[in-house]
Amino acid sequence: MNENISRLMDGEVDANEVDAVCTALKRQDAMAIWTCYHVIGDAMRGTGAPRAGFAESFAERFAAEPTVLAPSRQHSSRIATWSWAIAATLAAVTVVGWTASSLLGDTPAAVAKAGEATAVNAARVRASTIPADYLMAHQEYSPAAAIQGVGPYLRAVATQGDRP
Amino acid sequence: MPTRVAVDPRCAGPLAGYSRPGRKRGGPFLVLAPAAWVLFTLASSARADDASQWVARVAQAARQLNYVGTIVYQQGARVETSRLTHLSDNGREYEKLVNLDGPAREVVRALGEVRIYYPDAKIVRVEPRTFRNAFPSLSAEQQKSLTQYYNFRLVAGERVGGHAADIAVFEPKDGLRYGHRFWADTETSLLLKARVINERGEVVEQFAFTDLTVNAKVDPPMVEPTWAAVPPDWTVKEASAGDVAPNDTGWAVTRIPPGFTKIMEGFRQLRGRRDPVAHLVFSDGLVAISVFVEPYTTAPAPTGMKHQGGLNVYSVRQDDFLVTVLGEAPGATVRLIGNSVSHR
Repeated sequence: MNENISRLMDGEVDANEVDAVCTALKRQDAMAIWTCYHVIGDAMRGTGAPRAGFAESFAERFAAEPTVLAPSRQHSSRIATWSWAIAATLAAVTVVGWTASSLLGDTPAAVAKAGEATAVNAARVRASTIPADYLMAHQEYSPAAAIQGVGPYLRAVATQGDRP
Repeated sequence: MPTRVAVDPRCAGPLAGYSRPGRKRGGPFLVLAPAAWVLFTLASSARADDASQWVARVAQAARQLNYVGTIVYQQGARVETSRLTHLSDNGREYEKLVNLDGPAREVVRALGEVRIYYPDAKIVRVEPRTFRNAFPSLSAEQQKSLTQYYNFRLVAGERVGGHAADIAVFEPKDGLRYGHRFWADTETSLLLKARVINERGEVVEQFAFTDLTVNAKVDPPMVEPTWAAVPPDWTVKEASAGDVAPNDTGWAVTRIPPGFTKIMEGFRQLRGRRDPVAHLVFSDGLVAISVFVEPYTTAPAPTGMKHQGGLNVYSVRQDDFLVTVLGEAPGATVRLIGNSVSHR
């Protein structure tokens, strides 16, 4: 489990494992390890850990906050929960996508692509040049390339992927 | 939106949408199961034939016909236009691709060699490429995985570049591969348009002929490079032999997505590398994923993910080696493979 937590923090967990790892995280001891690793990481990067007792004092102040009373929605709370969860997920993807794309300084397509990549690791995806040697060596084995005839060379000469 | 999220195959694991008859338990069903199974098997092998025959026919048309046309290539928000001329002369293929936008580029394929001219940089790349693995040569296993991992269907009737086209749809049954749509000329089977679609139904990459003359009169000069001889002040970047002697490289992929089988393994010499590079290729019958392993040099190689259109590349350092995975598959798939490369 410790290894999985570490991998999750590093963005090394594959999309199909994420659910399982996150579920496991809900355990108290797992949460402690998660916190511990973050503190270690902060210390190593020299980005100061919060002062002792931060969590307790935060919890206290949070509990003291006045509760906001709002009229409840008409439709089933189950549906509401679902749609909120979905909206939150989409928002997260969009935010990370935009962050990644602003780093790339790129097009809406790059945003879409970056959004896709969030399942993997947004920060590491760069829309950039594919090494031509690898590309050339690869494409003669690709059935899709064979169907397309010269099609794959369009990729090679598309100026974005251009590097003689 | 909610429905799209709900059907996102990524959320449901590698075998999402993968149903087989014979899972239910029940009295009459037990009796009928063998018959149903036979029918199912027959139907699925018929589909596998359809799919692989279609793929073979289209690949063959691309090689054997003479044609001239304009291709629009779109990758994300980028659009580029090129002029393509193809000549098949007694089984020998000649092809010339000239881009019409941006800096001039020319790709000329003749007799198993591809030359890419970059006049602005005064560089010619020479690639010994033969497409020797080209169709029709799908193994039985690949033919099977074509329909085992994709829903294949043919849809009639649409026009592309003034030609009536049939559409072949390959919809992935899991989130580990992209969807593909191919439009082929109803009359000649020549590919008119191709589209790669990601797990959210977005077009990742596509190309299409906007005009095309099939069975055109193509004279040899039309497929010759603009530069008959390479100008003396140009640099020729020549790749070493493209052939890879099949060989055990000592490397293995422990977590290969279902349906992908190894179609090649060997060492190849890449430009600028002292040591040979191990090259393994896996294919599911429609796309391929290459794994390259080479000694990690002191110059730090860029690691992480990259993409270009429907291609994803993932590089990762493994001790003294650099692993690079490249393929027409989603980033997650390429990454999964990259992280599971190990010494046998």
